[in-house]
Amino acid sequence: MPHRWGMAADLDRCNGCGACVVACAAENNISTVGAEQAALGRAKHWIRVERYWEGEFPDVRLKFRPVMCQQCDNAPCEPVCPTYASHHTDDGLNAQVYNRCIGTRYCANACPYNVRFFDFFNPSWEKPLQLQLNPDVSLREVGVMEKCTFCVQRIKAVTVQVAAEDRELKDGEITPACVQSCAAKALVFGDLNDPESEVSRLSHSPRGSKLLEDLGTLPKVTYLPRDTEA
Amino acid sequence: MDRRSFIKLTAITGTSATLASCGNPENALIRFVPDDEIVPGIAVWKPSVCPLCSAGCGLTVRVMDADAEVVRNGQAGVVRIAAAKKLEGGPLHPISQGGLCARGQAAIQVTYHPDRITQPLKRSGTRGDGQYEAITWDAAIAELLSRLDALAAAGNQKALAFATRAGSSHRHALVDQFLARFGAPGPVSFELFGDQVLRRANALSFGREQLPTFDLPNARMAISFGADFLGTWNSPVAQAAGYGQMRKGRPGIRGAFVQVEARMSQTGANADEWVPATPGTEGVLALGLAHAILAANLRPAAAAGRAGTQIDGWAAGLADYAPAAVEKVTGVAASRIERIARDLAERSPAVAMVGGAPLAHTNGLFTALAVNALNALLGSVEQPGGLFFTPRITLADGAAAPAAPSIEQLASGILGGSNAVQVLLVDGSNPVFTTPTAWKVSEALAKIPFIASFGSFLDETSGMADLILPDHSFLESWIEAVPESGSIAAVASVAPPVMRPLHQTRAMPDVLLDVSRRLATPVALPWETFDQMVGATFMKLAPAAAGGDAWGDAQAQGAWSGALPAGLASPPSVTEETPQPVPEPRFDGDAAQYPFHFLPYPSSAFLDGSLAHLPWLQEMPDPITSAMWSSWVEINNTTAERLGIAQGDIIEITSTQGTLRAPAYVSPGLAPDIVAMPVGQGHRMFTRYATGRGQNPVSLIAPLTEASTGAVAWAATRVKIARVGGPDGSLIMFAGGDREHPYEDLGRG
Amino acid sequence: MSTSSPALPASEQVRSDLLRPLLQTSWKFYVLVAFLGAIVVAALAAWVTQMTLGFGISGIRWPVYWGFYVTNFVFWIGISHAGTLISAILRLVNAGWRRPVTRCAEVITAFALIIGAMFPLIHLGRPWLAFWLFPYPSERMIWPNFRSPLVWDFFAINTYLTGSLLFLFLPMLPDFAIVRDRATGMRRRIYGVLALGWRGTPTQWHRLETAMQIMAVAIIPVAVSVHTIVSFDFSMAPVPMWQTTIFGPYFVAGAIFSGIAGLIIAMAILRRVLHLERYLHPVHFQNLGKLMLVMALLWGYFVFNERLVTYYGNGASEMQVFWRTQRLTFAPLYWTMVVCNFVLPLVIMGISRFRTITGCVIASIGVVIGMWLERFLIIVPSLGHKYLPYSFGTYSPQPVEIVITVGTFAAMTLLYVLFAKFVPIISIWELTAVQHPSPALIPPATAEHPLGETHA
Ligand SMILES: Nc1nc2c(c(=O)[nH]1)N[C@H]1C(S)=C(S)[C@@H](COP(=O)(O)OP(=O)(O)OC[C@H]3O[C@@H](n4cnc5c(=O)[nH]c(N)nc54)[C@H](O)[C@@H]3O)O[C@H]1N2
Ligand SMILES: Nc1nc2c(c(=O)[nH]1)N[C@H]1C(S)=C(S)[C@@H](COP(=O)(O)OP(=O)(O)OC[C@H]3O[C@@H](n4cnc5c(=O)[nH]c(N)nc54)[C@H](O)[C@@H]3O)O[C@H]1N2
Ligand code: SF4
Ligand code: SF4
Ligand code: SF4
Ligand code: SF4
Ligand code: SF4
Repeated sequence: MPHRWGMAADLDRCNGCGACVVACAAENNISTVGAEQAALGRAKHWIRVERYWEGEFPDVRLKFRPVMCQQCDNAPCEPVCPTYASHHTDDGLNAQVYNRCIGTRYCANACPYNVRFFDFFNPSWEKPLQLQLNPDVSLREVGVMEKCTFCVQRIKAVTVQVAAEDRELKDGEITPACVQSCAAKALVFGDLNDPESEVSRLSHSPRGSKLLEDLGTLPKVTYLPRDTEA
Repeated sequence: MDRRSFIKLTAITGTSATLASCGNPENALIRFVPDDEIVPGIAVWKPSVCPLCSAGCGLTVRVMDADAEVVRNGQAGVVRIAAAKKLEGGPLHPISQGGLCARGQAAIQVTYHPDRITQPLKRSGTRGDGQYEAITWDAAIAELLSRLDALAAAGNQKALAFATRAGSSHRHALVDQFLARFGAPGPVSFELFGDQVLRRANALSFGREQLPTFDLPNARMAISFGADFLGTWNSPVAQAAGYGQMRKGRPGIRGAFVQVEARMSQTGANADEWVPATPGTEGVLALGLAHAILAANLRPAAAAGRAGTQIDGWAAGLADYAPAAVEKVTGVAASRIERIARDLAERSPAVAMVGGAPLAHTNGLFTALAVNALNALLGSVEQPGGLFFTPRITLADGAAAPAAPSIEQLASGILGGSNAVQVLLVDGSNPVFTTPTAWKVSEALAKIPFIASFGSFLDETSGMADLILPDHSFLESWIEAVPESGSIAAVASVAPPVMRPLHQTRAMPDVLLDVSRRLATPVALPWETFDQMVGATFMKLAPAAAGGDAWGDAQAQGAWSGALPAGLASPPSVTEETPQPVPEPRFDGDAAQYPFHFLPYPSSAFLDGSLAHLPWLQEMPDPITSAMWSSWVEINNTTAERLGIAQGDIIEITSTQGTLRAPAYVSPGLAPDIVAMPVGQGHRMFTRYATGRGQNPVSLIAPLTEASTGAVAWAATRVKIARVGGPDGSLIMFAGGDREHPYEDLGRG
Repeated sequence: MSTSSPALPASEQVRSDLLRPLLQTSWKFYVLVAFLGAIVVAALAAWVTQMTLGFGISGIRWPVYWGFYVTNFVFWIGISHAGTLISAILRLVNAGWRRPVTRCAEVITAFALIIGAMFPLIHLGRPWLAFWLFPYPSERMIWPNFRSPLVWDFFAINTYLTGSLLFLFLPMLPDFAIVRDRATGMRRRIYGVLALGWRGTPTQWHRLETAMQIMAVAIIPVAVSVHTIVSFDFSMAPVPMWQTTIFGPYFVAGAIFSGIAGLIIAMAILRRVLHLERYLHPVHFQNLGKLMLVMALLWGYFVFNERLVTYYGNGASEMQVFWRTQRLTFAPLYWTMVVCNFVLPLVIMGISRFRTITGCVIASIGVVIGMWLERFLIIVPSLGHKYLPYSFGTYSPQPVEIVITVGTFAAMTLLYVLFAKFVPIISIWELTAVQHPSPALIPPATAEHPLGETHA
């Protein structure tokens, strides 16, 4: 059976630290855009920790929610892409083929979660910062759409290794960079087709819900809310 | 790099390497031989230690081949090196447990920073203008030696001062040993957000002059007085791991969490109950809780033991701290105090934490002792689910250097003529940026005839240096830390270099050892190299398995952890001192003229500003405001409305110390009489990413200190504010809307 | 609709009047062409700059990834409905007054489509790879994604453009022949080629009429489908206030609406500049004005319908966008649009006293502005307020977008001016058909050939 990758984010564990945000940038060669471009709304954060205020002082609350590509099973970003740069893989990922993208930005409009980021300029790294680049992740050029891939390079590395060793994949063996860095273990990644996996268990938890579930996008990221027992 | 320049550079490299090899064969050639252990495209993972804060998290570093442009012996070339690619939390490290904070993730940019100092520099312009010329290491070390020899020849060794950052490591021990044997006072360490007050309180309450470790995974309730323990305080990665466990690690048990603070921090945002108490009254609230517990006979007063005896009126049940009275002082409703107190007593084990702003008042020690007593009353000291003290390892034999003056005393001594410091060495500390203006540290440094810095970057302090001896980055050298907290068992982190040095830098500890040997009157230190010193400690530690090798295992794993052999453990600190802590806080600035409490706080990205040079952290959205590349002032929304201040408007904040202008972030998450501002931006000189960006709130801090420790009371300044203009674009935010429910913010436009 | 033909000058007069612009050139023509050309060159330079420096010099930003360019795209494709559609309808219903109007209108279609079709290229992040949108058999067997509305656009626009060019070209044949017959030298050869050997034989007339009849019938569904498909670019994406079934007809109505406005403005200018007062009569404007009045009512109905349903449905994210346009950030633009598209045409076109040429032009200018705003207001507020408030954003155009936008208006005018310079802007043969020299050559109007009536 093919894998079906999914994630769960336990908002009772997530404390909003933002480690996942920097980890993702480090793993995926996401360039910083600088203050001027950031001010114009061109910062690229494949994962962001949304925070929302509720109530007024002194009965005020703040809620955090890490949001990355939800790897929708019924992804609105896919049918609209004229070149198949945004398309579905056999293991359920919403793949983004940078080489194939011509930059219509239609997918980003269609994505209800606003998790797609456009390269407004050629990404650059002031030397020798380029030495930090991850050779497993391709660099994007100007005019291309980029987004969270569930760290497909890490998925590939492990699945290839597992195949070479002719064994079963162990739950938790694959950790996307954000999952890996999260000290609170708020993020859990794994195979939804494996009923024993932690992510399957959390995804089927009665606490779980999907973001903008009613839009019918069938996301593969499950959120477990704060303030709930069990 | 494109192919053409690659070929050119390779050609140059080859030729120059051949030519250079005629003169100085080893040097020239060795540098250009590729790392042999690296297979192109294949990653290896090596341990290291995060140096960015004193938590001492362990790292695992992905290393792969890369082509680096380097300069060796004056020649440029391209070499295939084994380059660090990504930092992750060391999975086996007892503190990081596989996790890492955002700052730790960005630490790799220290090594590859485009503005890193790549070779020794000598000042060529006037002091502080940042003009330097490159010199050789031989010349640089000769210069330093001549200055130190001159001091020794004049018998004036006391005129050597050494400024470092606080922390506990072999590096600190080495500096201390060097100074002791040279005859100079110990290192001057200053940390704006240091934890001096809490250490002193812990010594008084528990006989341990160190920061505590919390057993959150086993706690059923936690109450934190101002401690941003999930963000910036103490050992955030270990604490976040514990917090996750506390919330969801035990089937059927979800630990409760209450945060007391007047401005909602990242940590406070996670609380089940957020209690804004009047600044400076947190200790009163802690005693109010204790009173309620005692009054309800939920715990006997004696349970607090020694910690209770530090509090006036404890044995008598804290008559002055009845909830009604506490409500008047703290602004927290009496019924709420009673409810939380009952919860704490019933949801055992419960633990109390204190840190940050509550201890940065003139009454900080009182507050810390009060929370300690509450903890003791709850029975949480050294108990599962409570607080522990990581056993301390003695790092070096030999008498310590005599205690140094504080940076404030040093500066006033220099300016007053009572302390004629001749030579100042600076390592990892930037007091010019982080000390209150009134201390005049910058003016004092200007009077010191010779300053040398080991810094990797030009900042406000090292920019005043006459000589710069740039250190390796942590990935290029032996790196170690002996964390003071974060693990219940003793722990020491260590790792060999992950990669070869990119630039012509040298490890500061080795330079110090080299200098100590080459002084006219050599300073006798028992180690040839720094790793020898570190190894000496580790070889005394117990191996994990019989017949094992603690030193070898530690290098492979990045840490050693376990039971300390007798003799290596530092003894508890015994203090007979009984301070008379004052419960009432004092504030700078008259309340009528300066109606707002000013609350600077360590920024999530930059801590005290030492990390503002890392572009990933500049562009990371702040957890609360989502601001990037910015400074801002947080102000309560009703206050803002009253004063006609809207999001992004420029407001002017004035204290008795000075004035600054910054954009407003209007928020419901702080009390109406508070303005809060993150520390970290406002650098005058600190690489292309931080220079001239934003404002430094430290410039407003009044020079009040905590009464019994002398720690700067950075939360005790009052200010006034005025709107001076509309948005000028300097507040750069990632987020659009603030409220999840769409209609709520419509009224706000 | 009136089928009474206004009185027209005699056929020789017609010829000399309508051929005058082709045969005489005043210095004003060169100044105008240079002026418009300069603006077009500036716009092209802006586009090249955008490709060289990066798309970032535009004002597009996260999450408003479409702005002026897509607004212009929809706007110009809308304007293109001026011609072919209107003239096809008028041909089919055999409105006699249409004869001086059809070509002016069809030319608008051709040029507006060409300009509109540039925008999908201009707005691409990597326009040099635009050919990946084309269905061609690559050796990797990678085809465009036929599920993407952008690919539908490609087909729809190409079909419409081809059809419109034919529709424009076919009835020009007799006129090319007239010019050919009057011109000499190089010009004669060129017009000779363009005339495709037209000699005006009964067979040729017969075939032309048949072809026009077929084209007129076929082009209407194509035109309707083009703007329906353009509307699908929006309504196929789950974006608040985009996903509505009304978009198809709403866009088509808006397109015809703005098309008529564009046509009225073009006719008024031609009438004044080329002194065609004898051909373009107030009645033409009045009739088009009445048509515009109908479209204004239709437009108003669609907007009311769209808004009411949104308001009644009260979906959280839809209401965000609703209020942004109704009374927050975008309200000034929104109410300007309502005035331009509804109040103004209703008042001016509704009261017969105001339905003068000047009145029609004023109302039309309003409608052009209003319809441009309509497209902008469909795109930007929705993209800026999609579901998750944390990701709300805004957009403001940058110089490059403004220059390119202005450039398209200049390009439209320039192309029109050049066309009017080289081709009789009013169909000579259709006007003179009434006084056809040899009525015997004209087949009688039959049920199969109702067009025969027009030049009988
Ligand atoms: N000197 C030297 N020469 C070599 C080699 C070498 O090692 N050294 N290697 C050889 C080998 S192994 C190979 S495979 C070849 C590779 O040579 P090429 O096949 O030329 O490979 P690419 O450079 O990848 O170019 C592919 C082009 O296709 C474009 N493209 C991407 N998607 C599409 C699409 O859907 N449609 C169309 N039409 N284009 C698309 C890309 O933008 C790119 O411009 O080079 C050979 N030549
Ligand atoms: N970044 C990037 N990656 C790419 C591509 C790209 O364009 N860009 N292209 C992709 C494509 S299309 C291809 S085909 C692959 C090619 O990828 P590789 O197959 O890795 O190709 P090379 O690096 O050209 O050659 C591999 C090694 O073979 C050695 N070699 C040469 N001759 C012999 C020989 O006779 N015997 C032996 N045993 N070894 C020999 C060479 O020295 C070299 O070290 O790369 C793919 N990866
Ligand atoms: S790293 Fe984990 S705890 Fe921190 S913000 Fe991300 S998901 Fe939340
Ligand atoms: S979250 Fe957005 S980008 Fe990701 S699959 Fe869904 S629609 Fe596509
Ligand atoms: S921007 Fe790229 S990925 Fe997105 S729809 Fe256009 S071509 Fe496809
Ligand atoms: S899964 Fe990978 S790409 Fe996606 S947010 Fe996490 S780190 Fe980034
Ligand atoms: S807490 Fe963060 S900055 Fe401090 S040592 Fe750990 S990873 Fe580094």
